[in-house]
Amino acid sequence: MTTALEQELKEMIIESLELEDVTPEDIDPEEPLFVEGLGLDSIDALELGLALQKRYGITLESDGEASREHFANLKSLAALVEARRVK
Amino acid sequence: MTPPPNSNPHHWSRIRETGSAAGIRTMVWIRRHLGRAPFQVMLALVVGYYYLAHGLHRRTSRTYLSRLWRHRHGRAPRNLAWLGLRHFWHFGQSLIDKIEAWSGIPPRLRFEAGARERFLTAVGSGRGGVILVSHVGNIEVCTAMSDLREEFHATLLMHTHNAQQFDSVLARATHRTNPPEIVEVSQITPSTAMRLGQRIADGGFVVIAADRVPISDDGRARQREFLGHPAPFPEGPFWLSTLLRCPVYTLGCFRETGHADGAASRGTPGYRVAFDAFDDTAALSRRGREAWIDTAMDRYVDWLTRQCETTPLQWFNFFPFWHDDPDALPTATE
Repeated sequence: MTTALEQELKEMIIESLELEDVTPEDIDPEEPLFVEGLGLDSIDALELGLALQKRYGITLESDGEASREHFANLKSLAALVEARRVK
Repeated sequence: MTPPPNSNPHHWSRIRETGSAAGIRTMVWIRRHLGRAPFQVMLALVVGYYYLAHGLHRRTSRTYLSRLWRHRHGRAPRNLAWLGLRHFWHFGQSLIDKIEAWSGIPPRLRFEAGARERFLTAVGSGRGGVILVSHVGNIEVCTAMSDLREEFHATLLMHTHNAQQFDSVLARATHRTNPPEIVEVSQITPSTAMRLGQRIADGGFVVIAADRVPISDDGRARQREFLGHPAPFPEGPFWLSTLLRCPVYTLGCFRETGHADGAASRGTPGYRVAFDAFDDTAALSRRGREAWIDTAMDRYVDWLTRQCETTPLQWFNFFPFWHDDPDALPTATE
């Protein structure tokens, strides 16, 4: 089941990355967002990070592994937003 | 095809930019306690030594000076050795000025016509922005502007490696009320971008130099004609400008010669500050980015060229800057 937050994130991804040919149903919450799956690149990752910051006020203090895990797939993104959102 | 930036043994990040921390501290001590004359003598000796001992720095300085002179005057400089020494002298002087600025000794800033108003308007707008800078002149001195306005919060993006040594000196010397934040990056990651996005959202400014290609091999660079020869310029600062969707400015800070000498004898060097609106990426569509970056890089290189023309000896990129520099070819030294 897709949660409301996951649905919101799907729409945010499509909107902020201007993925015109993608519908929310196309995004599998468990599938990797980058390289495979949606095939997003490093610039898309920055864009997505900034969209999360703008919408939910999230910032990540450390770089590296942890942040890569947050961005792995829609499920992990939703978990991040759940845990860290300030708005 | 151009080689990836980091295949080059003389990539700027591998060249130690400044002398030893102890050396810098000694010079600052002499300046403070013994006064200007002994300091100038010492600095002349140090600069002379560096000029003789550092062949690579000397060669890259000569390449730059020759290319600038051909570009500006259509001929080679008449006395390259003397010009090169003066170039090194300006660099030595700039290091000392950096320390002074960071220690909270306010430099004498003279804003270009309208620049102060433009700066105050930018700060007052609350929209923050990206400020593009370069290694012409002395940008650290500009950070003293954060003492000028309490609301001016600057975040300096610095490439990690060679910033470290200098910063360790500076960290001890800083007694500032509103010091700029320094973010060391080798590569912009989502978490860095998010932090920067937050700074801009809070009305702060992200300061980034756009005249050095990144350390990492996957760093994106584009070739531009600079002083008549092709050179790599980083895409990163321009990508960041588009991603952050905010006003973009250029900022330069140049030591003034001539009439500024009077001020220097009183202990504060004079600096000319140039602050200009560059663009605004708030309404730029994702699709329009590529084209924007392309022209923005052209405009930045034009701006950089003008800074070199105005203050030829304040170019502080002492590494093989151009693709066709003999020192830039890996085979030359490997």
